[in-house]
Amino acid sequence: MKKIIMSFVLLLAMGGASGLSQAEESVALKSVDISLDRATLQKGLHVFTDVCMGCHSLRYITWKDLMDYPEIGLKREAVDELREDAPLNAPIKTSLSEAEAKENYGIVPPDLSLMARAREGKGAYIYSLLTGFAHDPKGRVEDGNYNIYFPGHRIAMGDPLGWLDHEPEDEQDLKQQARAVASFLTFVSDPHQLERQAIGKWVIIFLIVLTLVLWLLKRAVWSDVEH
Amino acid sequence: MIKKILDSSAAQWLDDRTHAVQYIRFHLIDYPTPKNLNYMYAFGSIALVVLILQVLTGLFLAMDYKAATLPTGNGFSLAFDSVERIMRDVNSGWLIRYMHAVGASAFFFVIYLHMARGLYYGSYKKPREFLWIMGVMILVIMQATVFFGYLLPWGQMSFWGATVITNIFGAIPVIGDWLLQLVRGGFSVGDPTLGRFFALHFLTPLLLVVVVLWHVMALHVVHSNNPTGVETSEKNIIPFHPYYTVKDLFGIGVFLIVYSYFVFFNPTGNGLIIEVNNFNPANPMHTPGDISPVWYLTPWYEILRSVPDKLLGIIGMGFAYVCLFLLPWLDRSPVRSARYRPVYRMMLIVFFAAIATLGYCGHHPVTPELTLVGRIASVVYFAFFFMLPFVHKFEKTKPLPEDL
Ligand code: HEC
Ligand code: HEM
Repeated sequence: MKKIIMSFVLLLAMGGASGLSQAEESVALKSVDISLDRATLQKGLHVFTDVCMGCHSLRYITWKDLMDYPEIGLKREAVDELREDAPLNAPIKTSLSEAEAKENYGIVPPDLSLMARAREGKGAYIYSLLTGFAHDPKGRVEDGNYNIYFPGHRIAMGDPLGWLDHEPEDEQDLKQQARAVASFLTFVSDPHQLERQAIGKWVIIFLIVLTLVLWLLKRAVWSDVEH
Repeated sequence: MIKKILDSSAAQWLDDRTHAVQYIRFHLIDYPTPKNLNYMYAFGSIALVVLILQVLTGLFLAMDYKAATLPTGNGFSLAFDSVERIMRDVNSGWLIRYMHAVGASAFFFVIYLHMARGLYYGSYKKPREFLWIMGVMILVIMQATVFFGYLLPWGQMSFWGATVITNIFGAIPVIGDWLLQLVRGGFSVGDPTLGRFFALHFLTPLLLVVVVLWHVMALHVVHSNNPTGVETSEKNIIPFHPYYTVKDLFGIGVFLIVYSYFVFFNPTGNGLIIEVNNFNPANPMHTPGDISPVWYLTPWYEILRSVPDKLLGIIGMGFAYVCLFLLPWLDRSPVRSARYRPVYRMMLIVFFAAIATLGYCGHHPVTPELTLVGRIASVVYFAFFFMLPFVHKFEKTKPLPEDL
């Protein structure tokens, strides 16, 4: 009996494992060092306002947030320079209208506030996407719209950083830009993450001490019960 | 200290008018408990803590949440925006929302262990049959609650999960279409659906609180079982307070450490607690390739999916719950605890493995291999219940102790 049952458990486990290997084959993303220090975030912000903002918005981030989140910590003058005549507490919006976008790209570019959490791979996906433009090996997709990491490989966004056919001496700079903007978008997707982890450390330390005390209390209370 | 408060004249005054102090004494202080309860018995108290956390955090979320699908531009909606406002602009909103989202998963984790304990020590047997039935009712109400709650952020998985699951109603013969439209408030999942789900997401936790209180009151009539499953003599009984109050508090402490780890360091649980695709706003025009419910619903979803016919699938899933309800009468062995029942113990291990396998399959996109594995696991799930009425006939139980 025992044997039959054990072999059954084994069978189930094997089945589960074979299912695992069946998991969807997808291109492995490039690995990238996402860092949320102020220099990287500010650099990423500038890549965003210089390049991405031509098409994309950050609907959940206002210009004022750039001063208010200490992690970014921009000065008022710097914010004023970036926002031009947009109101201080308005969200960061592209000037590309939905109608123009549809006409030019056939699709409205998605908002990027949550993009770093809304794709498998998070920041690494954004980094890979920006540095993933290539020539279509089958020659079907026009240059600039073929991307190794985009599902289906045909993307309506045309190589924003100019990665395709870049000069070898520009490679480091382009990678740095991609890394910085991927880091910035990672921060923006969950702007309280550093604060959360900082508080979390103390919460856990407190709970561990409390639980230890409770354990000692439990031992003391139970000392008169033999079992 | 507690004794002093309960003996005070103010407490006496209150007790003369409401019996409040007697209730506290009966349920929290004097409640007689066997002295050999292990830490598996802490999950009941832990579940109570999680329930309170869910109700409180839910209340605060509801203050800032807006149940409306009104478009706000580029595919976003008022509901989705309001959740992001909570996450970004409301003071400590991120904490409340993550506590609530992690709490939902934690609740199921704790309840599944609580149920596994009941199965292992045979706690569903006479005289605790109704206690077990109330437990299964609690499970069903919890599953309804998360199903309603998961629609609220109005993300892609909210929308498509609700669409797939409400579709189940449509497959019921004769009244299916009518029922489907009643649940959705229209032909497809939309603004009326969100409105009613929000209202229901408020109602079901209240029902839950009522049934949980009843569950605890009933427990204190029939008293706790124990790991040996044998009746306990007077000398092995100790009062709940202080022995189990401290023991449970210690268990709650350990639970809170794990819970806080997720809240503060991994609130999406790598896509298990909040799915990656739910950070995209709901888009009725774009069906995601891979729609799966959150992990705690997947075993039941997989049973549904294992049956090729839709209606039979629903019947199968319903039957999976019916089996749980009938368990106290299916098992006819006079011995309670699996410690003394070698065959039952083996069956249980296989049963747990089958549920885990079902959960795994239900969480992943269909492939021919996974479908096959899911079907085998479904058969094992039901085989457990079909074998139960017969095992006692040939099972050689180990000798029971006289007392604890
Ligand atoms: C010329 C306009 C334009 C610019 C500039 C631009 N994008 Fe895009 N982007 C688009 C369009 C259009 C899409 C939609 C692509 C599609 O769905 O095929 C898109 C999509 C995306 C996506 C989502 C891909 C997915 O998985 O759905 C990301 C991430 C992204 N852009 C990041 C960026 C970043 C970062 C920058 C700045 C470095 C940037 N974009 C600059 C037009 C632009
Ligand atoms: C009893 C146990 C409860 C469970 C298991 C539960 C479960 C859930 C789940 C799974 C979600 C979606 C999580 C997410 O994506 O963030 C949710 C959201 C929500 N719940 Fe609950 N809930 C419970 C009680 C309550 C109560 C009592 C209230 C209100 C009084 C409430 C109010 C809300 C609100 C407003 C949301 C939407 C906000 C959000 O998505 O974060 N919940 N709930």
